[in-house]
Amino acid sequence: MTEEEKKGFFKALKEFIYGMAAHDSARFALKTRASMEHLFILVTMGDMLGVPLLPPYYSLRLLPYVVPQISTWKRRMLREKDLTDALA
Amino acid sequence: MNALLLIVGALAVAVLGYRFYAGFIDQKVIEADPNRMTPARMYMDGVDFMPTPKNVLFGYQFKSIAGAGPVVGAIIALQWGWLPALLWLFLGVFFIGWVHDYVSGMVAMRNDGLSLGALAYRYISPRARLILLAFIYFYLLLLAGAFGGVIAGALVKLTSGPVAILILALAGALAGQMIYRWRVNVLLMTVICVGLAFLGIKIGEFLTADKILGTVAQSKFTWALFAIIFCFTSAVLPIWRFALPLNYVAFYVVMFGLVGGILGIIFGLPPVQAPAYNQFVIGIGPLWPILFVTIACGAISGWHSMVSTCGTCRQLEKETDAKPVLAGAMFTEMVLAVVALMTAAAAIPFSQYQEMMKPGGPGAGAVFATGLSNLMHIIGLPLAFGKTVGVVIIVVLALTVMQLVLRFMKVATIELVGDYHPLLRNGTVATFIAAVLTLFLVQTGWWQFLWILFGGANQLLSSLALMVASAWLLSQGKRATFTIIPMWFMFITTIAALLYTSYNLLSKVFAGQVKAAAGQSLLEATIGNGLMGIVALFLVVAACFLLADGLKALKRLRPESGAGMMAAAK
Repeated sequence: MTEEEKKGFFKALKEFIYGMAAHDSARFALKTRASMEHLFILVTMGDMLGVPLLPPYYSLRLLPYVVPQISTWKRRMLREKDLTDALA
Repeated sequence: MNALLLIVGALAVAVLGYRFYAGFIDQKVIEADPNRMTPARMYMDGVDFMPTPKNVLFGYQFKSIAGAGPVVGAIIALQWGWLPALLWLFLGVFFIGWVHDYVSGMVAMRNDGLSLGALAYRYISPRARLILLAFIYFYLLLLAGAFGGVIAGALVKLTSGPVAILILALAGALAGQMIYRWRVNVLLMTVICVGLAFLGIKIGEFLTADKILGTVAQSKFTWALFAIIFCFTSAVLPIWRFALPLNYVAFYVVMFGLVGGILGIIFGLPPVQAPAYNQFVIGIGPLWPILFVTIACGAISGWHSMVSTCGTCRQLEKETDAKPVLAGAMFTEMVLAVVALMTAAAAIPFSQYQEMMKPGGPGAGAVFATGLSNLMHIIGLPLAFGKTVGVVIIVVLALTVMQLVLRFMKVATIELVGDYHPLLRNGTVATFIAAVLTLFLVQTGWWQFLWILFGGANQLLSSLALMVASAWLLSQGKRATFTIIPMWFMFITTIAALLYTSYNLLSKVFAGQVKAAAGQSLLEATIGNGLMGIVALFLVVAACFLLADGLKALKRLRPESGAGMMAAAK
């Protein structure tokens, strides 16, 4: 076994163990962050959705922080979901 | 016959199936293309859809599909003899199991990562989705009940388990606190919490449940309630607080036990003590069709289609990763099921096994723990320690799935009946309803019948997933024989198994011949048998509706029909 093959093997093993032990936790951490983002976007962009939660002045001040999340937020919101999504 | 030889045989089947059959389907039929855009890349949202390395996903898929299912099913099936169980594992995974996991994942991947319900809506009929979701609800209820029964049986017999599990739960909660609140280094947290979990196993050996609870520890109800309270707590708390860190810490204990067991087989070379073939009809029914639903995970399981569609396929970076991840994990699970079969067939005398599997006996969980401790004893670990490790493993594997199921049922209850009363929209109330229903099933039913019903629902789900996959293959103008034949086999076998079990249960109820198991009243047994019989009938009716819609869809899409010709032309 060459040095490179050895490295590749250990990398694969490490990833496999991570997948079994911690990948779930990482995904749920991301889901929690996504829920927070949804709330943040709702608060800052409530006007557009017809829910005026924050005065426009503050919404505009916060807008630069929201913009990077808008594209992924839109994808999450527009996706068709059903109950079985709760299993994964 | 030597146990190691059978495990080597399992590895050979896995390699052959993966290399040749899976390779052929992947390349020639599905035509996996590494350059085609996958949902993970196309819809990357940083949460559900995210390109992930295939080795990580292989671990994730394997961990998600290999719970208590492959362990318990194989052990129950030993009652027919090890050969029928082994043959079903080999042939089932080779011709059906991996096809099911892989194709359901590929269908979802080629359809923007849609879930199974949405795929049924698209390819079968609009009502198929609703029926499927109701079906899944009952299936998960049975799953929770069956696993609850396994836990209760194991903890009655192995009293060193409860304290060890409680300490493991504390270690899990501590892990959550350390990682998410105190921001401790992951390695340090792992060392402290896993160390605490093993210390708990050692303490459990001395501080047994009967010393603390006296005769209460002898009641299955006590441990069923214990499992339900455990899962209820886990389902209502934030997932990072308890469920996830507990699973993380438990992973090391499970791996320790499994590696110990495999090393025991390698170094001890134990001969198989169980007969190759015992008898055609056992307490739960005849070999056909009951064996084919008793062993679900390890051969084929509908649960995997949900994991493949909603979880894994949304993270696959390339289409060509689907074969190693989805098919590879299924073949590996089969090897795990064979190892579990050997813990019962080779590590304990068959007479002791039969005694433990009798109605009212401790059941498959205790068999696994005892067998595993005997195997670990070969490599020098004390028997009492090994037994506690074994019971912790089986309980943790079952609890992991039960927690997930209760969490899902909380969401499902809110979605399905939340509009009828505001109280039903409350998460705690919805979880409580699911927990009570589960406890009711565990307390009133005999766990082996519950297992058959769970297996039946599971296998029906797999045949429905294969039906959706067949409809998709036909709609793409591809060959579908390799999914249609397994679909029919699974459908006919499972319907026969459910009807047989339902008749068995209901005929006893109507003839007044129900016998109560140990620790169960006659009324409980009668209600349990009646309820299980009715649930089995419901599953059959729901599956028949889905089949009727599915057949219409398949007819519409067959190559000689208009839609089929259009698909072929595409």
